[in-house]
Amino acid sequence: MEGILAQTIVSGLLIGFLYALIAVGLTMIFGVMDIVNFAHGDYLMVAMYFSFWLFFLFGFDPLFSLPIVTILLFGLGVITYYLIIRPIINAPMLSQIFVTFGLLIFLRGLAQFLWKVDYRMIPQTLSSGNIEAFGIYFGKPQIIAAAGAVICNGVILWFLKKTRLGMALEAVAEDKEAARLMGIDSDRMYALAWGIGIASVGIAGVLLSSFYYVFPEVGANFGLIAFVVVALGGFGSIPGAFIAGIIVGLVEVLSGFLIAPSLKFMFVLAIYLAVVFVRPQGLLGHK
Amino acid sequence: MKRFCKLFCVVLFVFSIVSVAHAENEVRIGVIFPLTGSAASTGQVLLEGVKLATDIINNKYKLNMPLAATEGLPNLKGAKIKIIVADHQGKPEIGMAEAERLITQEKVVAIIGCYNSAITATASQAAERYGIPFLNDSSTSPTLTERGFKWFFRATPNDDLLSENFYNFLNDLKKKKNIKINSIALFSENTLFGADSVKFQQKYADKYGYTVNGTVLYPAKSTQLTSEIQKLKSYNSSIVLQTSYIADAILSMKTYRELNYAPDAILANNAGFNDPEFVKTLGNDANFIISREVWAKDLANVKPMIKTIADMFQKRTGKTMDGSSSRSFTAMIVLADAINRARSTEPEKIHKALLETDIKGSQLIVPWDGVKFDAKTHQNVLGKGIIVQVQNGEYYTVWPFNLATKEVVWPFPKWDKR
Amino acid sequence: MKNKLPVIAFLLFFCCLIFFPLVFKTPFPRHVLIMVFLYATMGIGWNIIGGYAGQVSFGNAAFFGVGAYSSAILLVHFGISPWVGMLVGVLLSALLAVIVGYPCFRLQGHYFAIATIAVGEIVMVAFLNWNFAGAAVGIYLPILEQSLKNFEFHTSKLPYYYIIVCIFLFALAVCYFMEKSRWGYYFRAIKNDPDGACSLGINIRKYKLYAFILSAVITSICGTFYAQYILYIHPSSTMDLMMSIQICIIVLIGGLGKLFGPVLGAIIFVPLTELTRVYLGSQGQGMDFIIYALIIMVIAIMRPQGLWGVFSREARGTR
Repeated sequence: MEGILAQTIVSGLLIGFLYALIAVGLTMIFGVMDIVNFAHGDYLMVAMYFSFWLFFLFGFDPLFSLPIVTILLFGLGVITYYLIIRPIINAPMLSQIFVTFGLLIFLRGLAQFLWKVDYRMIPQTLSSGNIEAFGIYFGKPQIIAAAGAVICNGVILWFLKKTRLGMALEAVAEDKEAARLMGIDSDRMYALAWGIGIASVGIAGVLLSSFYYVFPEVGANFGLIAFVVVALGGFGSIPGAFIAGIIVGLVEVLSGFLIAPSLKFMFVLAIYLAVVFVRPQGLLGHK
Repeated sequence: MKRFCKLFCVVLFVFSIVSVAHAENEVRIGVIFPLTGSAASTGQVLLEGVKLATDIINNKYKLNMPLAATEGLPNLKGAKIKIIVADHQGKPEIGMAEAERLITQEKVVAIIGCYNSAITATASQAAERYGIPFLNDSSTSPTLTERGFKWFFRATPNDDLLSENFYNFLNDLKKKKNIKINSIALFSENTLFGADSVKFQQKYADKYGYTVNGTVLYPAKSTQLTSEIQKLKSYNSSIVLQTSYIADAILSMKTYRELNYAPDAILANNAGFNDPEFVKTLGNDANFIISREVWAKDLANVKPMIKTIADMFQKRTGKTMDGSSSRSFTAMIVLADAINRARSTEPEKIHKALLETDIKGSQLIVPWDGVKFDAKTHQNVLGKGIIVQVQNGEYYTVWPFNLATKEVVWPFPKWDKR
Repeated sequence: MKNKLPVIAFLLFFCCLIFFPLVFKTPFPRHVLIMVFLYATMGIGWNIIGGYAGQVSFGNAAFFGVGAYSSAILLVHFGISPWVGMLVGVLLSALLAVIVGYPCFRLQGHYFAIATIAVGEIVMVAFLNWNFAGAAVGIYLPILEQSLKNFEFHTSKLPYYYIIVCIFLFALAVCYFMEKSRWGYYFRAIKNDPDGACSLGINIRKYKLYAFILSAVITSICGTFYAQYILYIHPSSTMDLMMSIQICIIVLIGGLGKLFGPVLGAIIFVPLTELTRVYLGSQGQGMDFIIYALIIMVIAIMRPQGLWGVFSREARGTR
């Protein structure tokens, strides 16, 4: 029994890291410009498809296509910003929600149109297989994904706090007008935020594609969890998203194992509600 | 309000007379499948099955099958079947609306559909209201035939019978191979299909004296199944009876492997495990899964006609025939046969002919003993399932033993020993 | 003359409502009309909380589900008339609105939106696992003799049509009087300037709760109607998150916080989805979604106030 419980906790942690990686881009975009991108999970889907096709057509292992897809997704994020987000940057919250929601349906429809509704999966990768330690099994792709999540979160945090460009981004997030007076072009900063935010979900997509199937609606499965993670951690807080990702992963797995799997999402959502009823701004968010 | 209803009935009546007079040499049959949405790929295959059957009925073929040798329906002066296709997108209210549209606007005389049990439920309700025969080809939820509908018929065996097959199979296997089965765990997705299946799996486990150690239901849309499979592991059962759609079937196989979990056998309840994508995606990891089926290509060893039809299907569509298309094909043949014997397209006469249906097993491309509807529930009482096993990336019949082409591999080999 | 024009316009609209189904005689267009008014009514319900009071709720499908399940469970297990079930559903939905709303209205903006998603999903999971309510299998409603008392009609859709039109007019009236009353004024104050509203001594949480209850009640009635119309319900057809979002989209297309916004939205949205499905759905897969998504994005970018403005401006011009 203890062995199985330990295995469950390990699995929960591994999936939690991945949730954190998916959520970090979402929370960053919100932190910089107060926009919730409802299509976030669908960029994950796009990245997974890119990774799948690079493998299928050219035989690239996901670990090799990682930089390619990251760059592609960065570009996609910037394009999205200029085409769709810039016109509504000062619009009320509701129109912002609906624009990104339209984007969500658009991406799913496009994926269905271009790639059909079939489930696809990369069969064998360099990272396939598992490791055993102390009677606990670790899936190699899951470990790589978890490591990727930690590194990626760290890099984004370092970028925001320690580099000139990152500090400029933070400045725009703090006070757009003051930043403008200091000669920072907020428009370009916003585009950069979208680029980085979408690129980070692209990394998550590639890592995920080595052990998860892809189909046009795969974003829905992860998208909702990403919102809960971001809101639980506090909108805009990167460390918050990281901690919340782990909490969600653990709660999901443990409640599924100890209570009833069919109720596991209920517990995840209930944890969110319980936290925001006590702290309306989430774990590490500020008002 | 009543006057409105009456007026409407009169209008409907006039319309139906006009339509019958208008379409004398054409029998219009409505076909409703999920052509878009998450079940779209299955829906397309189902439709191809119906189209192939229509072609065989409308043209001359040398096959031992009702209506193949003649052009059209001989008793209706060689009238041809025309199918009118509708898409229900996997939504109950759309299924109902489309059935109504087909009946009232397209003037179909009967309907075939709808794959998803939830939509068959609402669409057949519409047919019941308008008094139009509804022949269900591939929805297996037992509740459907328990509603006491007059116009609803089901050709496919339902989950009640198919769940019992698992235990017949286990009993036969115990006798033949002298294996031991300590207990069973049920593992299922938690929507209409899974929840219904678990009910019957439990019922027959009790009847045949197998202990069920535990039941794990997981939500559809799960992003991981780790805790579920941990739970299964903790039950320590020798057999897992699993009901999953394709996405979860793939995910669970990956997780079994990741957590190194290999019970003596994984008995799968069709659906995801028999989707062409399953073997394609998992490759060798799909091997040794045992699944219940309604059809398999290797049945051709017993019924050579199956190969002929499967080849025709392959040639027309580029896809391999499967359990879905073979059943939609069969439904069309059964329905056309009834309309032909009715010598009319009047609903009452088709209804009577359907009740009198008696097609022999040798005339079918499915492994059933024939088609004969129960007078009360309108369930086909001669339906039968088979059990297949994936070996080297192909499905082979392993039960009933007289139809088997391969010996069953038991137990399920451990992951590091394959 | 000034005040008569809207009255005349409304009377014309009312006449259209009565005579619509006489123009469209076949069931399919009538079904589309029924769906138009069903969604328009749900839109009005959402508009009260989302449009007037400015609280973005993505959990309204939960109230729809509660309405549908209350009447269905009472009918199937206890043989109680769906009309009584409708009232019970209304009471339960109002109760749920209070239980959910009271803690949730402390939350701001996106936190509130996500909380309503969470509540909606929790209710759905609960129903998926509640065996008495049929769990994932759902509930088949018994087919009874058709009559107004049984709320079932089998030979014609006309009665269903007139019932949903009555429900719709009722919701419209509720919304109209709410808009004209002190409540409407408070709701708008809460939306536009919560701090100002607070300093005027308005109990913000109380009035948000009132708006939520009104919204829940109207949505719940729609749920009962749906159950009696389709005669088969299960959790994913009555409480899906997508449904909550569709309701919001309808209001957004029509016009947020406008009395007739949801009506206009539903008149455009429902036939549009039906048409794209019938003509595009079976050809290029996903084409219908792409077009539908483009329309949503264009409207949200170009006319964030919805399409109702186009009409009202013309009306203003003729005054």
